[in-house]
Amino acid sequence: MAMKAGNLQKGMFILFKNEPFEVTKAEFYAPGKGSAICRAKLKSLKTGNTQEFTYKSNDPVEELDVMAREMQYLYTDGPSIIFMDPRSYDQVSVPVKLLEDKMGYLIPELTMYVVFLDDKAIGVRFPQKVKLKVANAEDSVAGNTVSAAKKPVTLETGVEVYVPLFVKKGDTLIIDTTTGEYVSRG
Amino acid sequence: MIDAIRAYFKSNGFHEVETLKLLPQPSTEPFLEVFETQLKFADGSNYRAFLPTSPEFALKKLLAAGLGSCFEICKSFRNGEGRSSKHNPEFTILEWYHTPGDYRTVMDDTEKLFQAIYRAVFLKAKDLMLKYQGKTYNLSSPWERISVADAFQKYADIDLTTLLSKTALVSALTKKGYHTNKKTTWEEAFNQIMFNEIEPHLGQTKPTFLYDYPASQAALAQKKKSDPRFAERFELFLAGFELGNAFSELADAKEQRERCERDLEERRTLGKTVYGLDEDFIAALESGFPPTGGIAMGVDRIAALFADVPNIQDVLFFPIDDLFPPKNP
Repeated sequence: MAMKAGNLQKGMFILFKNEPFEVTKAEFYAPGKGSAICRAKLKSLKTGNTQEFTYKSNDPVEELDVMAREMQYLYTDGPSIIFMDPRSYDQVSVPVKLLEDKMGYLIPELTMYVVFLDDKAIGVRFPQKVKLKVANAEDSVAGNTVSAAKKPVTLETGVEVYVPLFVKKGDTLIIDTTTGEYVSRG
Repeated sequence: MIDAIRAYFKSNGFHEVETLKLLPQPSTEPFLEVFETQLKFADGSNYRAFLPTSPEFALKKLLAAGLGSCFEICKSFRNGEGRSSKHNPEFTILEWYHTPGDYRTVMDDTEKLFQAIYRAVFLKAKDLMLKYQGKTYNLSSPWERISVADAFQKYADIDLTTLLSKTALVSALTKKGYHTNKKTTWEEAFNQIMFNEIEPHLGQTKPTFLYDYPASQAALAQKKKSDPRFAERFELFLAGFELGNAFSELADAKEQRERCERDLEERRTLGKTVYGLDEDFIAALESGFPPTGGIAMGVDRIAALFADVPNIQDVLFFPIDDLFPPKNP
């Protein structure tokens, strides 16, 4: 599907120099010195590498015709992440390299959307928020600080996140999968 | 940080001024959209009025009147931009004008200003190494200075002849695999290469002044006497931010009028808000304008750098997304 770069959005899949990419960030502006542009961060679906590209807003971009299916996370096997369709029990694998920054939000049996291009799984759309247990947290008291005090804790999947001081080991937290930030106690 | 900026300029003989924020005619940059409002009097008369995109024209009127070197820190307003980590519709701008001086004087001012801010913010630091988002940038003098022509040669393998020719530059762009068509302009080709192949190399270990822009990108800068194909303009880059835009200020009223009228014409073509030329500004230049170097800087971006945060919204008390949340279609 042809579209204008001005309509690019995070989470879209597009063709860039004839290779499939996922748009991981898209920001628009009209710089004082020229016509409107879109600064995009693109992640290659082949290599998992990210690169930046600046489009003019009226540049044509080819959007890939992808399909999303609701699936459950089963397990990770070396370089592959295995998902299962809870209705048909079909299993598919997604390369780890495409999800490296999101591995900490893969929770067994969590339902998410796996994105397919021509029957090949190319990515995963996570729920906006996930619940995770705190595996390790040190007690701390508010020190001599002006801003709201925060401390790092480790979650059950190994990710580290900054949280308010009252959070304790064993608490369940709600984490925003887009920003990786603490939202609230679950 | 603002204190450090003020202290620097005051101890170097600059006057601090405050100029108007409600204007009958804003400045003429073709690509900036303005905020427009209405001024009403009790007698029923009303006028179109605008918020400034920068205090530039007002400050230049003061310079023409003989004020001498001066600076202003104020809010400015730009409409019609995207939501972005580097822009806010209402933002804090720092402008200063050094007279007598030119863009090189302003480069020297800029280095000293940033060093003064650094020393004020990091009281105990013994060096000038700015840590930002996991990387370190050396603020000690001299900073990197590279001309636009040299940068195109070095980073994009485009020589001077190609750079200055519309057909050659557009075909170089096509060869590099960018999207082009019959309507692609020189300016679009220039910006595509600038954004994708040049800017990512600038300000990576220390700040970079990118200087001497092709004359069509002169805006309000003087052309170089030694080579009128270029204008005495620079932009400052550091850690992925474009921090400032500076000129050896154009003093020729006739040429300024022509450029402004061309800009206003382009605004019409681009479908931007249309208004008249600030005749007062032209008249001020006619009355005699001293040799001056001037610059506009985004203070919110400088604050984000010194606070080590990735997004200027993080240094604003009232980020735009909180005040005007995104509307989902």
